[in-house]
Amino acid sequence: MTAIATNIPKSATPPLERAYARLGVLLIAPTILVFSLVIVYPLLAAIYLSVFSIYTPTLQGGFVGADNYIELLTGKAFWNSLKVTLIWTVGTLTLQIVAGVGLALLLHQNIWFRSLARSLVLFPYFLSTVVAVLVWKWLFNDLYGALNQGLMQLGIIDMPLDWLGSMPNAMIGVILVGAWKFFPFVVIAVLARLQTIPENLYEAARIDGAGPIARFFDVTLPQLRSVLTVIILLRAIWDFKEFDLLYLLTGGGPVTSTQTLSLLVYQEAFGLNQMGQAAAYSVGMMLVMLVFMVLYIRQTKEKNA
Amino acid sequence: MANVTFRNVHKAFGTYVALENLDLDIRDGEFVALLGPSGCGKSTTLRMLAGLDFPTRGEILIGDRVVNDLAPGKRDIAMVFQSYALYPHMTVGENIGYPLKKRGIKGRAREEAVQKAAALLQLEPLLDRKPKQLSGGQQQRVALGRALVREPQVFLLDEPLSNLDAKLRSYMRAELIELHRRLGKTMVYVTHDQLEAMTMASRIAVMHAGLVQQFDTPDAIYNRPANRFVAGFIGTPPMNQIEGAVDGGDFVVAGHRIPIDRTAFVDSLRDGPAVLGVRPEAITIATGEGLPATVRLAENTGHETIVTLELPDHSRIAARVEAARRLDVGHNVALRFDPAAIHLFEATENGARLNRDETPASVIPMRSK
Ligand SMILES: Nc1ncnc2c1ncn2[C@@H]1O[C@H](COP(=O)(O)OP(=O)(O)OP(=O)(O)O)[C@@H](O)[C@H]1O
Ligand SMILES: [Mg+2]
Repeated sequence: MTAIATNIPKSATPPLERAYARLGVLLIAPTILVFSLVIVYPLLAAIYLSVFSIYTPTLQGGFVGADNYIELLTGKAFWNSLKVTLIWTVGTLTLQIVAGVGLALLLHQNIWFRSLARSLVLFPYFLSTVVAVLVWKWLFNDLYGALNQGLMQLGIIDMPLDWLGSMPNAMIGVILVGAWKFFPFVVIAVLARLQTIPENLYEAARIDGAGPIARFFDVTLPQLRSVLTVIILLRAIWDFKEFDLLYLLTGGGPVTSTQTLSLLVYQEAFGLNQMGQAAAYSVGMMLVMLVFMVLYIRQTKEKNA
Repeated sequence: MANVTFRNVHKAFGTYVALENLDLDIRDGEFVALLGPSGCGKSTTLRMLAGLDFPTRGEILIGDRVVNDLAPGKRDIAMVFQSYALYPHMTVGENIGYPLKKRGIKGRAREEAVQKAAALLQLEPLLDRKPKQLSGGQQQRVALGRALVREPQVFLLDEPLSNLDAKLRSYMRAELIELHRRLGKTMVYVTHDQLEAMTMASRIAVMHAGLVQQFDTPDAIYNRPANRFVAGFIGTPPMNQIEGAVDGGDFVVAGHRIPIDRTAFVDSLRDGPAVLGVRPEAITIATGEGLPATVRLAENTGHETIVTLELPDHSRIAARVEAARRLDVGHNVALRFDPAAIHLFEATENGARLNRDETPASVIPMRSK
């Protein structure tokens, strides 16, 4: 119509929006930089290293193509460790969830020692892994350990058990210690959610004729569903790559019975000085973890939608 | 039979006394409102009837049965919460059907009952939605549906309309009246909104400071308030209370005499300090003869004007006049009170009413705090 109207470019972004976009890029730039340095670079480096045969102390070696991956696929080490990792993760995670949810429900009740118990429960989580492992190693000790002593006095066993030196005791041992160390996280997350469930819902359910068990399944559990999904996924990722607890407690032994993938990678890189092979294992491990990650991302997306 | 009886019920939270000497006799099929300011113990009363709180002392009966030790689910009651308390993960249909499910009613029988309740409340198109996807009014109807699906003996409603906007509230008010008429069930309705209580209830229990001040019909509550609290709580604006003294055939305020008819009051009425109560609509604003006053404020709401007047003793009262009436602020006027509409109260903080009435109101003096 008029000259003024035609002067305005039709489909261009308004200048203000463009300015905001520039500002946005500027603001996230530091994060991207740090992210690239500590995550993207090591990731690419690992992939790069995994096609070489490298002697760790000198970091020298030659290109070997897919050899390391062929070893991963055809050798026993990776698959054994994957199996160990899955047993450890599923076992310790299940215990963490069951004990964590149970204790959270208990601590949500009006019991007189509630505030004391709430702080005590956090203790294992705050304890340094080294200290925790030392204490547990002492408890597990087959000669003077308190655990054997107690079990024998109760008449459950009549000979001291070799807890960390034989199978399946070693696996049971690490699973128990892992559960003990990490269940407080579950307690805190579940307890926080429990406290946000409106009391009215329970009252309505009582009037509607629901008993305590029905109230748990019809009111509590559905409200915990989303937080439990996130907890399980997060803990699964963290347990899957857990290193220090297992390394300090059994070192992966007896032989390789508790050698998870993290321990395998470490052993390969610094025990056998095969950095290239270790890099290949870690890439393999990362691919497995990618499954968890996709699930986690999908879950969080679902919640935002 | 589902009459509800509170017999000398006391409720204390620790050392704080929330309710004392609660005596209520609610008849079968009656719509009773518990009305009072915030914190007066309305919800506590209702929750004790529901079995969610327990009386410190006294008995609660539903029908002829003492329910003090009966679980909420066994009392044959249903409750609508102020926050609706719908189960967020269940659909509307599942929410409504839940009380039936917990009572072992299965399959077609349950489905039909849910359908019936949904039809009554026009919820059919929403049955598959989750509560989050509903408006406030729709959620409120679902909560009602869950309450009436099982046809309990007594309905308990705790401020069910307070989260709705004014228009929806007046609509739901009419719906609830209609629903009560159709179901004929006993309903106990908690509100702090006197309009709701006056329009819906067959009787109102006006509560204050843990005590029932008066339990009577809306008409009696309005026209024969038991004491100064009820007089000052009911009505917008409420009844004016003018402090003065009785002297023979007159009520004297700041040296001015207002003639009263002593035969209209109880024999125990003595000369001396008293409080004269008069509703804003019983005041005529004129010139010449009458109680002198100054116009301080005139608020025109469209269909009436509320005039704030200052008396010679500097206290202020309100009068209601037609909207067209022009009154200039600062003008001196003379007030005349309709002699038949004059109430007298004892001069104490919550003085009892001293009029001689056909039906003596159930009067309980206010607790001194
Ligand atoms: N669990 C409790 N512990 C301690 N005091 C309580 C408890 N529940 C209620 N009270 C007190 O009892 C009194 C009556 O409470 P109630 O909830 O019955 O008031 P209400 O009349 O329903 O008020 P509102 O209109 O604000 O809902 C209040 O002073 C309140 O503080
Ligand atoms: Mg209340």
